[in-house]
Amino acid sequence: MERVDVQTLRDAFIRQGIMLCFNGPFSATLIEEIGQALRKHMEGLSESQSSVTDVFTAYIELTQNIRHYTAQAGLTGVDAQATLTVSRNGEGRYVVDAGNVVKAADGAALVDRIESLAGLDKAELKAAFKAQLRQPRDPEAKTGAGLGLIDLARRSSEPLSCSLTPLNDGFSFFSLRVVI
Amino acid sequence: MQDLNVAGTDSIPSIQANWASGRLEMKGDSYPENAFELYQPVIDWIEVFLKTENRPLLMQLQLLYLNTSSIRAMMDMLDLLEDAHKQGKPVGVTWLYERDNERVAELAEEFREDYTLRFDIVPQE
Repeated sequence: MERVDVQTLRDAFIRQGIMLCFNGPFSATLIEEIGQALRKHMEGLSESQSSVTDVFTAYIELTQNIRHYTAQAGLTGVDAQATLTVSRNGEGRYVVDAGNVVKAADGAALVDRIESLAGLDKAELKAAFKAQLRQPRDPEAKTGAGLGLIDLARRSSEPLSCSLTPLNDGFSFFSLRVVI
Repeated sequence: MQDLNVAGTDSIPSIQANWASGRLEMKGDSYPENAFELYQPVIDWIEVFLKTENRPLLMQLQLLYLNTSSIRAMMDMLDLLEDAHKQGKPVGVTWLYERDNERVAELAEEFREDYTLRFDIVPQE
């Protein structure tokens, strides 16, 4: 197996302003533990309650979405590993990036949805959120019924951006960026 | 109907539903993976209370962060109270928050604007 090059990782983390990084399968417990660590770390930086909440929200919605999706799509092994980073960009804004393996068709549908949200202003996003909230709930559905992406778009200071890279066997790697 | 008593954790609020006093209190963060597993008993409790009692029911919230599935569950609870209010039953909501936590105030306000029942949003020092 390739030897881990800690210094190259470190250099990349510093260059890209990455303050938190995780790669692997998310469990419910892990999501909570990392979330608490993220919150405490940000509070230690004396960030406002609002930005702590916004970053935490982006983190929770992204990781819980991935967990639900991965379970529902029946992905296992390396395909069930998700990648998450929290960083600060050149303007000092917090950026939450998350990526995971998806079925190619699901990935394409996600990209369409994110592009359609990107054209909405704050008032339209609020209306879309309330309309989605009023959709009848599937009693079997565990998730927030499509609310998550709209919530992320509302908390993002710029339109959500995403990428989709084809992998083998009808899968793609999907990643989503939220800039707080 | 039995009282409900759920101890809070990092990801779920403490929940106390007291039949005798007609009070339902929830306090803390709410981001369980499956919010309906947590809230269905609370929804059922509210429904039975409103069906069998004509006494006041007050929901007092000190909730901080809600994930989207918790928001969806909260809407179902508020819808029940709103229906009761429209039938002339004495129900109300009080949402307490720390004054400098404006995201909580915004969240509470977004709920309130969809309802006509008594809904107080009260800042605390």
